[in-house]
Amino acid sequence: MIPERLKASLKREFHQSLLAKVGLGLLILILFLALFAPILATHDPTTSRYWDDQGNSYPPLGITYDTEIAQEGERVEYTVEPTTEHLLGTNNVGEDIYSKFLYGARTSLLVGFFGTGLAVLMGVPFGLIAGYYGGRVDDSMMRVADIMLAFPSLVLAVALIGVLGAATIPIPDPIVMAGFAEDMPEYMILPGSVTIVVALVTWVWFARVARGEAMAIRSEEYVKAARSMGASNRRILVTHVLPNSLTPVIVLATIQVAAIILLESSLSYLGFSGTTLSWGYEIQQGQAYLSTQWWIATIPGIGIVLAVIGINLLGDWLRDSLDPNIEGEHGG
Amino acid sequence: MTFGKFLVRRLLQGVFVIWGVITVMFALRAVSPGDPVNLILDQAAGEELRQQVREDLGLDQPMYIQYLDYLQGIVVGDFGFSYQSSRPVLPMVLERVPATLELAFAATIVALIISIPLGVVSATRRNEPADYGATIGSLVGISTPNFWLGLMLILILSVQLGLFPTGRRPVAFHDSIWIALTTFHLGPLITWFHHIILPAVALGTYFTALITRLTRSGMIDELGKPYVTATEAKGLPGVLIRYKHVLRNTMIPIITVLGLQLGTLIGGAVITEIVFSWPGLGDRFIAAVNNRDWPLLQGVVVFIAISFVLINICVDALYAKLNPKVAAQ
Repeated sequence: MIPERLKASLKREFHQSLLAKVGLGLLILILFLALFAPILATHDPTTSRYWDDQGNSYPPLGITYDTEIAQEGERVEYTVEPTTEHLLGTNNVGEDIYSKFLYGARTSLLVGFFGTGLAVLMGVPFGLIAGYYGGRVDDSMMRVADIMLAFPSLVLAVALIGVLGAATIPIPDPIVMAGFAEDMPEYMILPGSVTIVVALVTWVWFARVARGEAMAIRSEEYVKAARSMGASNRRILVTHVLPNSLTPVIVLATIQVAAIILLESSLSYLGFSGTTLSWGYEIQQGQAYLSTQWWIATIPGIGIVLAVIGINLLGDWLRDSLDPNIEGEHGG
Repeated sequence: MTFGKFLVRRLLQGVFVIWGVITVMFALRAVSPGDPVNLILDQAAGEELRQQVREDLGLDQPMYIQYLDYLQGIVVGDFGFSYQSSRPVLPMVLERVPATLELAFAATIVALIISIPLGVVSATRRNEPADYGATIGSLVGISTPNFWLGLMLILILSVQLGLFPTGRRPVAFHDSIWIALTTFHLGPLITWFHHIILPAVALGTYFTALITRLTRSGMIDELGKPYVTATEAKGLPGVLIRYKHVLRNTMIPIITVLGLQLGTLIGGAVITEIVFSWPGLGDRFIAAVNNRDWPLLQGVVVFIAISFVLINICVDALYAKLNPKVAAQ
């Protein structure tokens, strides 16, 4: 499907660019952590364990913190110590931060990939039809797109989840099902509402790009040739316009995975995700403990930044090698 | 097409878009589960009272009548009453606008002050350390969620170093300016400034990164053009060429992208307000969603859409002025 010339261009750009290699490395790392989370995790991320019966949590290795306890009317100060059992400590409700980090990677990537896929499925046909037929069809379809763009995507997403509710879809975890990690949760949670909503607020970008491509392609010689040979519009759309407009769609899709991961983290930070196994939710939980246990909110944020940097770098690499002229929106 | 005609057409399109937003919001409310009367009255209220409230709010009317009533109300500035507080929605929205505007403006200023010189330096010193620094910095900037960045700023600069205050904005900008002008007392203005720096940086970082990237790539394109060589040959100083001639041509695509990114600015302001307890529209919006306070929720969203459309028209007009070819299309 990819022409040789593009393959060569991708390779050349990859060899020249250190950043492309860093991006690919980061993405492979996060994918690895997410895929094998049940094996790599040291604890079930939904069970709690505290340092003491006062509800104090473990700090990460190498860090201690001071806390107080009321004992026979007096306040006694003491120090909370880390344990090798919880490498990155436990959060405010006693869950293992390292294990939750791995499961958070899963949620981010699930929403990022499924949400982008859904947005492509909605936006590309819409844009191709609008751009190919042009005229009144194009005008009315693009007015719909204008309305979608008039909403700030985060505001629209929150309003939609307010209506839909934060529904989630449990998916059986194949690794746990196969018996490789028996202590881990049996289901992974796909935040269904969030996935649908992020697709609903981003599909317009795909529609715009596909429309531009279709408008350019419909006046190409090979399309005219196909038409003169009696090919139907539908046939031309599927066999000529669609494959030839895919390159910019792929580049945009890469950038949008990053944007959607940021949007997902914002939504779960605001408490609209429906799952607690999410980096954004974890940051919200840690916010109240910023002055005493800063690591709870800090660690998941590093995950978001690394994942998004990795995907953005890959997007830059694809864009530089394939060179389509497109713009996208940022989700955070 | 003349500039006037262009403006009229954009205004008509804007009215259409706002109508669409109102309609979508109304449809969302219509399909959302739950009886609004339960949100207004407590469980113990009798059926008679419930029916009374339903009639007062027009909820017993057919949907299309409710829709027309709502549209008619908005035209005259009546957005209904909040379920939660029973106050009229419009003042509840308007009283929160200054704080959000302050934040959005401050963030934009932070972004422009840092990004444009950074982009120019980066483009004119390609592949030097300054360029690498700016490129990596802007990559991290566009990849960092603003709410987490906000928390990290609070953690390092407020909690650890004690340089900035945390907590709610104690005084509004217009009030502090008024005090400064009438009593020559600068305290409130300084307090305000002190409070807005961290939220403005948290919200502005993404835009700083984005504009740095755009300025850099735009400048690189422009610097390769023949007119630059010509002005250099005439002996104009490099700084003048870069900032007066090249930058001006680079601004056109930047303004376009900034127009497209307004939604991101508003969405970002919502979440930044939550992080910093900033008493703006976003803070009110999230509370409205959590309380299922539909009239307030609709009011905020419709208000945001109207401002969004108006700002976009201004951006388009500015763009048309800078580049007359656009208005002619």
